[in-house]
Amino acid sequence: MERSEEYIKNERKKEWRVELQKKTKAKDRMAIERVKMSEQDPNERIKSQRIEVNKGLSAEQAVQEAMRCMDCVNPTCMEGCPVSINIPKFIKNIERGEFGKAASVLKETSALPAVCGRVCPQEVQCEQKCFYVEKLNQPSVAIGYLERFAADWERESGEIAVPECAESNGIKVAVIGSGPSGLSFAGDMAKLGYDVTVFEALHEIGGVLKYGIPEFRLPNAVVDVEIDNLRNMGVKFITNYIVGQTATLEDLKGEGFKAFYVGSGAGLPRFMNIPGENANGILSSNEYLTRVNLMGADSEDSDTPVLRGKNVVVVGGGNTAMDSVRTAKRLGAENAMIVYRRSEEEMPARVEEVHHAKQEGVEFLTLTNPIEYIADENGRVKQVKVQKMELGEPDASGRRRPIPMEGSEYTIDATVVVVAVGVSPNPLIPNSVEGLEVSKWGTIEVVKDKMQSSIPEVFAGGDIVRGGATVILAMGDGRKAAANMDTYLKEKYLSKKVEQ
Amino acid sequence: MKEFNSLEDILDFAINEEQMAADFYTALAEKMEHQEMKDTFEQYALEEIGHRAKLEAIKNGKEYKVSEEKVADLKIGDYLVDVDTEKTNITYQEALTIAMKKEKAAFKLYNDLAAAASDSASRDMFLMLAQEEAKHKLRFEVEYDNNILTEN
Ligand SMILES: Cc1cc2nc3c(=O)[nH]c(=O)nc-3n(C[C@H](O)[C@H](O)[C@H](O)COP(=O)(O)OP(=O)(O)OC[C@H]3O[C@@H](n4cnc5c(N)ncnc54)[C@H](O)[C@@H]3O)c2cc1C
Ligand code: SF4
Repeated sequence: MERSEEYIKNERKKEWRVELQKKTKAKDRMAIERVKMSEQDPNERIKSQRIEVNKGLSAEQAVQEAMRCMDCVNPTCMEGCPVSINIPKFIKNIERGEFGKAASVLKETSALPAVCGRVCPQEVQCEQKCFYVEKLNQPSVAIGYLERFAADWERESGEIAVPECAESNGIKVAVIGSGPSGLSFAGDMAKLGYDVTVFEALHEIGGVLKYGIPEFRLPNAVVDVEIDNLRNMGVKFITNYIVGQTATLEDLKGEGFKAFYVGSGAGLPRFMNIPGENANGILSSNEYLTRVNLMGADSEDSDTPVLRGKNVVVVGGGNTAMDSVRTAKRLGAENAMIVYRRSEEEMPARVEEVHHAKQEGVEFLTLTNPIEYIADENGRVKQVKVQKMELGEPDASGRRRPIPMEGSEYTIDATVVVVAVGVSPNPLIPNSVEGLEVSKWGTIEVVKDKMQSSIPEVFAGGDIVRGGATVILAMGDGRKAAANMDTYLKEKYLSKKVEQ
Repeated sequence: MKEFNSLEDILDFAINEEQMAADFYTALAEKMEHQEMKDTFEQYALEEIGHRAKLEAIKNGKEYKVSEEKVADLKIGDYLVDVDTEKTNITYQEALTIAMKKEKAAFKLYNDLAAAASDSASRDMFLMLAQEEAKHKLRFEVEYDNNILTEN
């Protein structure tokens, strides 16, 4: 949703906001310490994949934290949010105790605030831009925790209102993939009166939110509530259905679908292509996490010995690597270790995940890179040969890139290796749809901000367009695509000129 | 090792190497199943032709110098397994691997030739060629480092 500066300014001048602004002096706001999230004890939580680490804020904590927010005239935090959530407005609603209203503000722009509050990299988005960080060099307002609080409050209060949907226009649209991008698209289209069906290749709805991100970070129940909400709005879900295999886009057109949103994600694991990488016991983070999260390989009676090992080496430094290594701990690994070729500052993982991983006893080998896997006589990995790296001189782009230190090689024992070095787009749709323009990276090319592909009735967004990105960006794409597809379809089928 | 009798001989050799590289990429482009990979290899072929043109200019009298500057070697390709260039569905990651390895091999060749050169003019010429190849390789390595090694 586009927001004018004027709108934001006027909102800030609403009586209730002014009242709050006057009620507490800036000095007193600044004197409040940033809230600490209460967490499950590391020794307890590593006993289960399904115990959420962060417990959430109490209402008192949330109100107190919301008081820290200065309700800035120029709320720079909003610039840091990829979907421009009206941050001060939702926070001030928390301060005055209107938690449900706070949740509504979030929902104006974010389809899944309870998810984003838990998984967005706030420290490089809104929180990095907060007045406290920019001007006071102090910890930012805990925007992410507050977002989670408001969304959870709404869910737990049982007061989630099913959004009103426009009268059905009878136009059928198909969504390919049920990740955050597909879900947010589906929600907006249902609200606009379309007949929406989501096709999902797996047996579970939710994409990475279910098969990738473990429950200790994002409980399935949080996602399921949103899915039920979509069902109540009339969205149909068809699982175990691979578009491009079970049926093609052409087949679906034959069934009356007029337009498509491809949100098929980037689920193709990337490997390093170093010697020995196809030994048994080396698997992609994608396979590893899916087996645990979707197939219950963490349960006691599960017969999946391949996943359990004494020494688990995870290669990579992103969220996927952190999720894998912490899963390994929970599956009973004695040594769970991250091997990452750059330095810790450069890890793309959320800072909180790195912190939690350390609390849980994960070892970090940074500036270290695997160069070969050594297998035993049965072809099962037993060691990883690694090499130390040093950072080179800054290059033209200012980046200091890691360079191998020859002669620094040594080996680490490994019973299981999880490779989490990146993902590529799922190739099925890009490869099987005639006339669809695709980049050399395998992503679908779309008109920026419209999300329309080279085939007019096919829109796309999320990781299939961006490569591996974030939940909030995937969701934002879904919403943009819905708005633009609506214009396209109305012009084409309802001969209604839509005002842009 | 090949015998070189003059600087022109050396340049002719190098020009031919660039042309062979261009031909190699053109052949790969023709074989690829998907348009975006055809485009990729055609682009690589064009870059090689650009290198050839640069050397031809030197042959025609354009000045060149061996700079002292050391081109960074990220050594990314050194540890990767060879890509099967017979297949028709090479990915972009593999395309970059092929290119990094090819440039590295050329760099090594000229470096070895420089070490074995009997006169300083030939040595300088080989060093200049080696440096050019190192730069080409770095361009592919940076792309690989930025886009493939995202580790996310
Ligand atoms: C382990 C892990 C942890 C992450 N942690 C974070 C985090 O903390 N914060 C964050 O912001 N981002 C995180 N990300 C990234 C984030 O999850 C993704 O950017 C986001 O999920 C992309 O959403 P999407 O809807 O585009 O695709 P996805 O969530 O990948 O969903 C795509 C869906 O499409 C389905 N599909 C694919 N092809 C077909 C087909 N042909 N027919 C039918 N269905 C199909 C897939 O099965 C999948 O369910 C993480 C990713 C992973 C893997
Ligand atoms: S920048 Fe920080 S203090 Fe200012 S409005 Fe945003 S959250 Fe509140």
